[in-house]
Amino acid sequence: MALSSSHDPELTLGRKIRQIPWVFVLLVTMTASVGFVMLYSAAGGNLEPWTSRQMPRFGVGLAVMLVVAVTDIRLWLRYAYVFYGLSLALLIAVEFVGAVGMGAQRWIDLGFVSVQPSEIAKVTLILALARYFYASRVEDVGRLTHLFVPALLIAAPVILVLGQPDFGTAVLLLFTGVVLLFLAGVRAWLFAFAGLAAVAAIYPVWQFVLLDYQKARVLTYLRPENDPLGAGYHILQSKIALGSGGLFGKGFLQGSQSHLNFLPEKQTDFIFTVLAEEFGMAGGFGLLGLYLLLLIYGFAVSLRCRNHFGRLVAMGITSAFFLNIFVNVAMVMGLLPVVGIPLPLISYGGTAMLMLLFSFGLLMCVFVHRDIALGPGAASGD
Amino acid sequence: MTDSSHSRRVHLEGARKEALATSRSRLVVTSVLFAVAFAVISGRLVELAVFEDPQARATATASRTVVQSKSRADILDRNGILLATSVPTASVYANPRHLLDARDAARRIVTVFPEVNEERLFRRLNSERTFVWIRRNITPNQQFAINALGLPGIYFRRTERRVYPHGSLTSHVVGTTDIDAKGLTGIERSFDGPLQESEQALALSLDVRVQSVVRRALNTAIEKFSAVGGAGIVVDVTNGEVLALVSLPDFEPHFGGDVTAEARFNRVTKGVYEMGSTFKLFTTAMALDTRTIGLNGGFDATKPLRVARFVINDYHAKKRWLSVPEILVHSSNIGAAKMGVAVGTKTQQAYLHALGLTRKARLELPEIGVPLIPSPWRKISTMTISYGHGIAVSPLQMANGVAALVNGGILRDATLALSAPGAVPAGVQVIKTGTSIKMRRLMRLVVRRGTGKNAEVEGYLVGGKTGTADKPGPGGYAASRRVISSFVGAFPIDRPRYVVLAMLDEPKGTAETFGYATGGWVAAPVVREIVAALGPMMGMAPSTETERLPRPGDPLHIAAGKPSQTAGNQRVRGQSVRGPSRATH
Repeated sequence: MALSSSHDPELTLGRKIRQIPWVFVLLVTMTASVGFVMLYSAAGGNLEPWTSRQMPRFGVGLAVMLVVAVTDIRLWLRYAYVFYGLSLALLIAVEFVGAVGMGAQRWIDLGFVSVQPSEIAKVTLILALARYFYASRVEDVGRLTHLFVPALLIAAPVILVLGQPDFGTAVLLLFTGVVLLFLAGVRAWLFAFAGLAAVAAIYPVWQFVLLDYQKARVLTYLRPENDPLGAGYHILQSKIALGSGGLFGKGFLQGSQSHLNFLPEKQTDFIFTVLAEEFGMAGGFGLLGLYLLLLIYGFAVSLRCRNHFGRLVAMGITSAFFLNIFVNVAMVMGLLPVVGIPLPLISYGGTAMLMLLFSFGLLMCVFVHRDIALGPGAASGD
Repeated sequence: MTDSSHSRRVHLEGARKEALATSRSRLVVTSVLFAVAFAVISGRLVELAVFEDPQARATATASRTVVQSKSRADILDRNGILLATSVPTASVYANPRHLLDARDAARRIVTVFPEVNEERLFRRLNSERTFVWIRRNITPNQQFAINALGLPGIYFRRTERRVYPHGSLTSHVVGTTDIDAKGLTGIERSFDGPLQESEQALALSLDVRVQSVVRRALNTAIEKFSAVGGAGIVVDVTNGEVLALVSLPDFEPHFGGDVTAEARFNRVTKGVYEMGSTFKLFTTAMALDTRTIGLNGGFDATKPLRVARFVINDYHAKKRWLSVPEILVHSSNIGAAKMGVAVGTKTQQAYLHALGLTRKARLELPEIGVPLIPSPWRKISTMTISYGHGIAVSPLQMANGVAALVNGGILRDATLALSAPGAVPAGVQVIKTGTSIKMRRLMRLVVRRGTGKNAEVEGYLVGGKTGTADKPGPGGYAASRRVISSFVGAFPIDRPRYVVLAMLDEPKGTAETFGYATGGWVAAPVVREIVAALGPMMGMAPSTETERLPRPGDPLHIAAGKPSQTAGNQRVRGQSVRGPSRATH
């Protein structure tokens, strides 16, 4: 421990602020601004009801991000399990006091703001897993018994979220966890084995676990044309809108699919469609390009970071961010079944935006503390 | 971004170094996987934006109509009168999985729908299904009452109900739909696709006023003569448009399944009958057209015609040589049969085929009957067919064939679709124009001097022919004593515009008709009533010219001082009928 400490220049607040990657902050703001514009369009050319509320949320989130960026990374390491526990508590609480929205219990109303605990769990799961593997010895990571705790860490929020029921978020949590396990160095054959097991599990899961509406979504995904006015309606309308945008789109506020209310949930899950209809393929690639830059930054931070905890946190956050984007975009394009996953930074929604910016804060924090060595004892507070 | 030089300076234990290496390689693998995924969605974006079927783009606008207004198109008559329309209604259904208490729900629902059986409803609600219809097309009051029950798991769906403002009047033409608004019969069936897809109302050639006149006249006759049914059709001979098509009994199209097969049966288009003497018009036309015989010619009808074991009689035998006009006016079977033989079997077949009588008729209805023709077609067939027996055709075919006889000789398919004003569909010249003009004069003579007198209308010149055919039944023709009586008329006969056919199925004679149930007594008055209303309705001025009877020297002059009494010369009842001599007048 002493050995590593001697190499750590203790960072002052001023030095930390100077370390903040402002280009990244700019990219985040640009991406969020695309979101404001699209929410304005989705509301038919009105600031109300979405843009006017999303902008202050982003402001708050930006502040949180910058504050988190300059906090001491050891704080997050030390309290990772506490945050994880708190988020689990919230997930359990939502079962009892949660508000039902869109047919699922997902929100907790705290009076001034309603919170979606599953969004919080996305970040705390990453912290908890990073904390666990940071403290593990390399030879342990390869052992099967060593996987019991992380499996439990992943399973608890996944099961709770599945019970809400929010299939999409549960899948995202699971995949984020699995990616982290892979990055932490869990034996590769295990993943192959798990993949085979998952395929084998398809039948019992279909038969005994999935609810009718979830089955309907999967079937609809496979053949949306079979039920164009029912369950397949969303995805067909979305594909039509994407196709009708062409190369350069119909023009701002000109998307007929979006404005004539053919698109469901256009301010959240299907906002990418609004963008692609009005700005065409060029607009779609513009946004994907912004996302790509943010992702590259995340990977770079991860590569550049010299401590295991920071690398895992950065990698986890980047992966979760990527999975969110991928699942949403693939969904609106009809490549994946319709699961209610918002588009990060763009879709309307408070908790998701706040937690994403919070996680970006952590990413920046990792960058700021990239050269700090965190020994196995760092978590215990010495 | 590599910091290899940097890390080399840092001394970590070998294990941690290895961990870092593993971590790095894993990171690279992950980023590659993510990059691939990103490439996939980018490719998909290109595919959707650039390569998507242009039709999908068209659908982007087209689908709007599908979603917003799914109404089945209206059906109109030729004057734009609504015959069928769709009215939005609510239908109530349940998702049994959302129900709290199926027993309680069933009990409370039947308070709103007393006609629903509670036990059966409960069994349906108490299931694992997610969708159960409770009642289709409910009233707003019922919907309010269901809402007031406040039952979870009970929902409404917007449906539409097909409404036929004229009810049974047009039931055989317009047809019906099933509960899902899909065409089942009539125009609803044959135009099912266009009615579902297009919002454009479908205009028929039908005229509800004429339809109403025909139905009323037929109904009166059916009641008066205790007939089991009737058929009436009015065809515009200039373009084949059907203005009225009535088959009785008909049915109330709103009542769904509670309709007897008898009422559903379209006697005009689906039913095929031995039409009897009206067929003599075709025989005469082909004889004149082929110049087998002229108007001056004639046949000997002195004694019954014996062919093999059959004997052909005239009901009112003149027992003398009859001219061609006399054969028609007195409706001589012997004369018609001899005329048919003179024309020859091959020629008869050719003409009947050209007149559309030996093949399935073409009309925009699914209910079309196939004519029954003799096989093999022997000489005796030729003889009986000459006076309308041994061949069964639909009243539609009969009317359409007569239309070709009087309109200058051009056969056009009858149609229920309204053609553009002035448009005359192409037809086939089946007889010479000259023959057609002769046929008009002969038909007029039948009404003036012959069996069709009851079809005479003051002011309108009607020409036509009666027909009374024995109807086969259990025990053969003679045993049944049942007849099909008809009259087919054309007017104004000097320049024909419409063919009107009326047919009564199993009429019984009354005291007023001296017990006669022949076409002249029961069907001709129906045509008279129709023409009397149709003429003024269509803006035809009554003819003021005095019509002169053919003078001596004119082949149409009928020398006999006393003209053949309308139908009064042949009793149908109590007739001893042998072989195919069953016909008629």
